[in-house]
Amino acid sequence: MSFQGLISGSECAAPANPLSQVLKHTEGDRSLQQDRISGPSTSRLHYLPGNSSSVPANEQDIALARQFFEGNSSGHAMAPVFSVPHPAELARINEMVARPGISEHWGLEQQHQMRGLDDSTKAAAWATEFRNAPQASVAHTVQQNIAGPEFQQQRSYMSPLYGNSMPMGVYGMGATGMQYGTNSNFSTVVQGKGKAKEVDFETAFAQVMDSLEPVQSSTSRIEEVDDGVQEIEESLRAAAIDGDTEGDFQKYVPLSSSAHRLHVADRVWEELQNSDHPPPKEDIAKWEAEFSQLMSAQRDELEDYGKNMQNAWEGGVGNYDGNIGDKPMQIDAEGIPVLGDYVFEQNNKFLDPSSSRSLLNEAKALLEQNGSLSEAALMLEAAIQRGELGEGGYEAWILLGETRNMDEREEAGMRALLQGVKRAEESGTPGPGMLSLAISFTNESYDRASHSMLLRWFRARYPDVSVPEETVRAMTTNSAWDTHGRITELFLDLARAQHGQNKMDEDLQIALGVLFYTNGEYERAQDCFAAALNVRPKDYLLWNRLGSSLSNGNKPEEALGAYREALQLRPTYTRAIYNVGVACLNIGADKEAAEHFLSALSLQESTGGDTSDQLWFTLRRALLSMQRSDLADLAKPEAKSNLEIFRKEGLDF
Amino acid sequence: MSDIKAPGFKSSDLISGLEAAFSKYTDAEKQAQIKKTNGIFELQVTNGAKETVIWTIDMKKTGTVYKGKAQPKADVTIILADETLVDLADGKLNGQKAFMTGKLKTKGNMMLATKLDTVLKGAKAKL
Repeated sequence: MSFQGLISGSECAAPANPLSQVLKHTEGDRSLQQDRISGPSTSRLHYLPGNSSSVPANEQDIALARQFFEGNSSGHAMAPVFSVPHPAELARINEMVARPGISEHWGLEQQHQMRGLDDSTKAAAWATEFRNAPQASVAHTVQQNIAGPEFQQQRSYMSPLYGNSMPMGVYGMGATGMQYGTNSNFSTVVQGKGKAKEVDFETAFAQVMDSLEPVQSSTSRIEEVDDGVQEIEESLRAAAIDGDTEGDFQKYVPLSSSAHRLHVADRVWEELQNSDHPPPKEDIAKWEAEFSQLMSAQRDELEDYGKNMQNAWEGGVGNYDGNIGDKPMQIDAEGIPVLGDYVFEQNNKFLDPSSSRSLLNEAKALLEQNGSLSEAALMLEAAIQRGELGEGGYEAWILLGETRNMDEREEAGMRALLQGVKRAEESGTPGPGMLSLAISFTNESYDRASHSMLLRWFRARYPDVSVPEETVRAMTTNSAWDTHGRITELFLDLARAQHGQNKMDEDLQIALGVLFYTNGEYERAQDCFAAALNVRPKDYLLWNRLGSSLSNGNKPEEALGAYREALQLRPTYTRAIYNVGVACLNIGADKEAAEHFLSALSLQESTGGDTSDQLWFTLRRALLSMQRSDLADLAKPEAKSNLEIFRKEGLDF
Repeated sequence: MSDIKAPGFKSSDLISGLEAAFSKYTDAEKQAQIKKTNGIFELQVTNGAKETVIWTIDMKKTGTVYKGKAQPKADVTIILADETLVDLADGKLNGQKAFMTGKLKTKGNMMLATKLDTVLKGAKAKL
């Protein structure tokens, strides 16, 4: 991906190769960590205040730690944490990180908890190290106890990261390095910053979370890390993010004696080493909640945007499904919004039961003849309500959805299409309606849903082409940026193969166009639609799509040309009229824009159907741009029967 | 509201235009936007003269725009230059590219920053 280049070329000094970062920490240079942890005794044994004996009195410490633990384990799923190797710890750390001030808490849990007192960032580092030998700031102490090479890693990890000293550094770690990287970063960040910056920690935390999630699908640059990552990820998921830990932690934190810390750390560490339980499942939810929380936490400035982005890509970042807000949108695992059932028109003149004509056929005929879209939609609704569903039980639904979309009623269109797609799948013939639905999702900014739907379309349409398992799974876990890359690759491969055989499947081109459009790559989308238009020059939908790609790609004049073609082919194409208005707005021709919207509205009005809210909304913007807020106030759906007032104001439609 | 403007900032007009537009939303539209965006954006804009102004676009609770830091906490803080904001709104630059090239920095929920595009943009053509 080109992002790689961007990442490498970012202003941050972090090495482009995350692997190097990982390797670095195998070198073990904990000096920084030590400084962080506690000024006075920089030598390993941290917990014994002022004591710098090289070998910690493990037994004592452990006993103390145990005590400590016993005393506190409320809320913290210490046990489970311990049982889960590293990852659990990591998860804990994450948890900790997520909360400002939790760092302490975290430290406690994690062995290195003690260190965590300094700041949560330590925990971050710890997380990384956790794998090897969890321990953030308390590196010293841990070292003492653990004396493992990992420890070294952690330290060294910190060192290089230190330089970066930014939470984003974690991101910079790269895919594989994610697990490690993020962990290290955390540590590093903590260390590097030299201040208990929760921000860093949180960022790191997020990083870890991110990395943990997409572990499976992340493009591992560092092969060797993969296994570990998986493991950690699992552990992490298992680890419970206990919201109460903070409270508990507090108890621990105030320990003035570093010895306490150490004990706990020791104990934790021991437990970790020994236990081997599978992580409890219920924690995942908590973990995710933490994650969300973390995501919303303040972070420090990113120095390496590229890297951050990369991480965000592969992470589940951005899938903040329904975590905040009064009425969050419900979104399922694949990113598809849960919209509810289709709402039929109340006063549908076609619902007359005495009539026996086939409304479905009539609707089709009407559409063929460029008739009114609203009428056709009403016919279709009546047909459905009367049970005349067409082929496979889905045909009428899909046609209804597409008609509604053409009439610029996206919400209704989406619901109808969702129904249609579902029925088509149920009847064993998946595929119809999926492309249209993906387009609806794109229009409403449900990017992940769009990708999922496109993948489903692809598999239905080309059942012989094999799709990597990983890609399929990625749809439910990864962020939109990552899934986009995968799907695009899939489609492009097939397109190239076809090209090699001198064939071109225009549907594939259209799907590719939609993909590029969703990602904002309007130029490429334009190419795709243009290619498809060569094969189907009379397809007004394609003209509209080309027009929109041009319009959003900042070529409004050309866009207008494409829209005109569409309207010539289908004068009642409300959406195209709407788009013309939008293009006018973008050029600054507010009055013309308003006029176009009004003409679309009057078209809808005259055919007796309901008017599109989107049209009213955008009309209002146009009127405001014209500095006519008085008219803007009048531009509400209730005014649909009174469009004359606008005419009187000099708007010609 | 005239007090939302900040002299010396090109993007000031843009923000006040946005504010006016938001205030004209019907409740239903506001709810729909809030549901879709679901975030509080805090914009820290710096102009050529090194002055900084902070604007908050609340698309989570109230659906308004105002000058000053976010109340309550912002979900994402976006730090960028006056020019960048103007370009973003014009569509010359998209949020993702701005971020990748370092023109836009974020603190907080980074992914939310990508939604800034849609919030700022006047109107988007429909596919």
